[in-house]
Amino acid sequence: MIKITDLEKVYRTEEVETVALNKLSFEVKHGEFVAVMGPSGCGKSTLLNILGLLDDPDAGSFLFNDIEVAHFNERKRADLRKHNIGFVFQSFNLIDELTVFENAELPLIYTGVKAAERKKRVEEVLEKVQIMHRRNHYPQQLSGGQQQRVAVARAVVNKPKLILADEPTGNLDSSNGNEVMQLLTELNEQGTTIIMVTHSEHDARYSHRIIRMLDGQTVTENIMI
Amino acid sequence: MFTKAFRRLLSNKTFSLLNILGLATGITCSALIFLWVEDEVTYNNHFTHKNQLYSVLENQTYNGVTSTFWSTPGPLSPAVQSSVPGIQNTARMTWADKQNFSYNNNPIYQRGAYVDPAFLSMFSLTFLKGNPAAALTQPNSLVVTREMATTIFGNTEDAMGKSVKVNNSELFTVTAVVENQPYNSSVRFQWLLPFAAYEKNNPWVKTWGNNGLQTFIQLAPGANTNAVNKQLTQLIRTSEPESKDEAFVFPMSQWRLYSYFNNGKPAGGRIKDVRLFAGIAWVILFIACINFMNLSTARSEKRAREVGVRKVIGAQKLRLILQFGGESMFMSFLSVVLSIGLIYLFLPAFNSLVQKHLSLSLIQPVHLAGLLSIGLICGIVAGSYPALYLSSFKPIQVLKGFRDRQNSSASWFRKGLVVFQFSISIILIICTTIVYRQVEHTRNRQLGFDKENLIYAKLEKNVQEHFSVVRDELVRSGVVTDAALCNQNMLEVGSNGAGFEWQGKDPSVNPLVSLIATGPHLLNTMGFQLESGRDFYTDAKADSASVIINRRLANMMGKEGQVGHYIKRAKEQYLITGIVNDFLYNDMYSKPAPLIMFCMPQLTEVLMIRLKPSDNLISAVGKVETIIKKYQPEYPFEYNFTDQSFNTMFFNEQFTGKLASLFAALAILISCLGLFGLSAFSAEQRKKEIGIRKVLGATVSNVTALLSKEFMALVLVSSIIAFPVAWWLMHNWLQNYEYRISISWWIFLLAGITAMLIALITISFQSIRAAISNPVKSLRNT
Repeated sequence: MIKITDLEKVYRTEEVETVALNKLSFEVKHGEFVAVMGPSGCGKSTLLNILGLLDDPDAGSFLFNDIEVAHFNERKRADLRKHNIGFVFQSFNLIDELTVFENAELPLIYTGVKAAERKKRVEEVLEKVQIMHRRNHYPQQLSGGQQQRVAVARAVVNKPKLILADEPTGNLDSSNGNEVMQLLTELNEQGTTIIMVTHSEHDARYSHRIIRMLDGQTVTENIMI
Repeated sequence: MFTKAFRRLLSNKTFSLLNILGLATGITCSALIFLWVEDEVTYNNHFTHKNQLYSVLENQTYNGVTSTFWSTPGPLSPAVQSSVPGIQNTARMTWADKQNFSYNNNPIYQRGAYVDPAFLSMFSLTFLKGNPAAALTQPNSLVVTREMATTIFGNTEDAMGKSVKVNNSELFTVTAVVENQPYNSSVRFQWLLPFAAYEKNNPWVKTWGNNGLQTFIQLAPGANTNAVNKQLTQLIRTSEPESKDEAFVFPMSQWRLYSYFNNGKPAGGRIKDVRLFAGIAWVILFIACINFMNLSTARSEKRAREVGVRKVIGAQKLRLILQFGGESMFMSFLSVVLSIGLIYLFLPAFNSLVQKHLSLSLIQPVHLAGLLSIGLICGIVAGSYPALYLSSFKPIQVLKGFRDRQNSSASWFRKGLVVFQFSISIILIICTTIVYRQVEHTRNRQLGFDKENLIYAKLEKNVQEHFSVVRDELVRSGVVTDAALCNQNMLEVGSNGAGFEWQGKDPSVNPLVSLIATGPHLLNTMGFQLESGRDFYTDAKADSASVIINRRLANMMGKEGQVGHYIKRAKEQYLITGIVNDFLYNDMYSKPAPLIMFCMPQLTEVLMIRLKPSDNLISAVGKVETIIKKYQPEYPFEYNFTDQSFNTMFFNEQFTGKLASLFAALAILISCLGLFGLSAFSAEQRKKEIGIRKVLGATVSNVTALLSKEFMALVLVSSIIAFPVAWWLMHNWLQNYEYRISISWWIFLLAGITAMLIALITISFQSIRAAISNPVKSLRNT
């Protein structure tokens, strides 16, 4: 599903040049659950942003479903993104002014789904993450675990082929964290490809494969059994 | 305190710039208007006896309608002086007029009047040369202003004792040079001649029946004006037994601003404009202050932590109020300084717009105090709400992380202020459009004659006698179609009278009829349509007892209003030889009044000339000038184009229109400066939300729409508020005009859409910037 070859990304400021990705290459197949690990600053977030089509690489190739997307313009990337990719963030990133239902509904609005269909699908995913009873609450009124479940619901409401999760349990206690990991596992079992950046060896164990990064390069790949 | 304020100003350059620019624009605009207001309200203040000086006015009633006239009979002044107690002085003055002054055979027209000698002391003229007591006592004395002395003699020194030929006949000798009247004086002249000299050539001023002069009265301090009015009226009625006129004294302090009368009662005047514009000046100032309030409270999130820290380490609320108040005061005075520069920069343009000679003088206490108080008021108004709001934050709340939520009270307050700003802007757009359309509507009105290619020039007596020769030569020149004599420019018919009779006339009907003295060829020259009858004969004497009347009068006369019938006045009887269409004069907004043309070329002073349509009117006028000069070589040839004079008749409306559009532009400019700041703030505040939405698939246009929507809603609410207010204002304004447009709905729509577009463009700078920003960056710090 994803194949990156010699991917490079360099951040420049006036004084320093930081190499975030240094000829990075790997492949992720359909239905895989991959964890990306590594110390802070090793380029994990940069990688996730490029995989999520939020940022473009300076060099290298990025095949998404066999299509070269490395040099897509903003509009094409946005279009590809909203139909294919769901995001789960460490800090949830829910919109404070919108209710649980409205937050989960947003991706459907941007892909132009009709209101009646939206209602059905949002209720379905809220049911799935067991937050339906809080559908009219605002994010601040929920616990961290509940907020992350809303975020997961929002990530999958569009039935994306790929979910990118950036330390999804980083702000949660262990029981809430486990619940979220359980959810991701279920989604993966139903066929969604998942790439997850994490610091937690515990969470990484939910994945099929761990890619370890250092200084913008992969150092090892472990296959989980 | 100010060093800190200055540091803060530098640390937020954009914010400070928006604030200071907005405030300075507002202050500049209002200061210019206040200069105009000052000029208006200090009219005639230079006269020492301002509070004792009065003009005598008369109320005359015709057909149940009372009109107020500033003209009085000639014998009134001497009679009053001797018989009414409480009067210190009286003087007559003719209506200021251009006369021909010739020195060393250089003729020049100058404007002035004939006055009684008492005028000089009553109006406390400043004498540069000569003796006030003796200046006008000799019948051939001449008083000139500094300006005229310089024009004719080069300087004031050489003027004294020089003899000047007036109107190519009599010699007058300069006996005094006086200082020019200031521009805001109701009594303006370049020369003064003794009234006795006028009386000699105009015997009618000795009769009570002719009102053609201004009478000024200086009352003793504390004199009872009611008693004086009673005696004046009585004096007129005893001297002219048939008169029902009512005379009254009208104080100099009201000449400029309260000079309108409606059916004999005072009905305000320019004071309405003064109040309106002063009000608008304050509103514009307030709109500018609003920006400051809005931007300051919008940025409160950034300052909340500072307030929290300060409070925790012991600052009291009052101290904080003073701190924030001080900052806004500092900002406000910086704006005043900037606006002083702007005032000097824009004053020349403003002067030409309002046709005045205003000036700003920082050494003049009134101006300095005015600017300081504007600065103070802006500082207080602009700083009050932010100071109270910011200082009220609870330390624990803000230190834990304060967010100015979208539906907090401060945010509602901000929205209210934006709505206020845009309501005013939209109202001004609508008013400007309607005023402009009303003026255009009237300018394009069918006048009843052709105003293009029509010039008029002053003529001297001897030319009238050779009129047919002059006319023939003009027509033969090939550039002139026709020419006619007339007693005045046909746009301004100054004479009128009542007391006309016809057979079967309803005795209660006594219309005031406009009177024109003319001769043959006027109808063709002007392009009037003769509905029936004929023009005056070329031999004018044959028609000395004939008149041509207009349609309005003909209708009033009923079946007597026909060619071949008669109209009478006193002992005279006139044969109606022609009826012309109603044409417009004097007031372009109303219906033409009844009008009579007499065939009396001996009373005419103006030559109307119809030029052939041509690409080169200047050369045509040159040919005309050569011909006229041949017959009156002693006089300069001064002419006007009728269509240009016509345009000047709309000065007041165009003045209002231009000022209104200036105000509208400024109100929008200032409002947009504020909106620019607010939208920047809003985009900043919603950075994270925008990032999330973009990650979820929102396009640039989705995000732009999202950010613009909230401001568009405010402009929409502003429109809803502005529409009825603007309609009401303009509906009332239009009632002043009999000939007026109806208010069309599309003007409102246009104004609303314009405001929306301008607001949208302003906001789009910020919203597009926010929308194309990389969401990765805005989500990184969360």
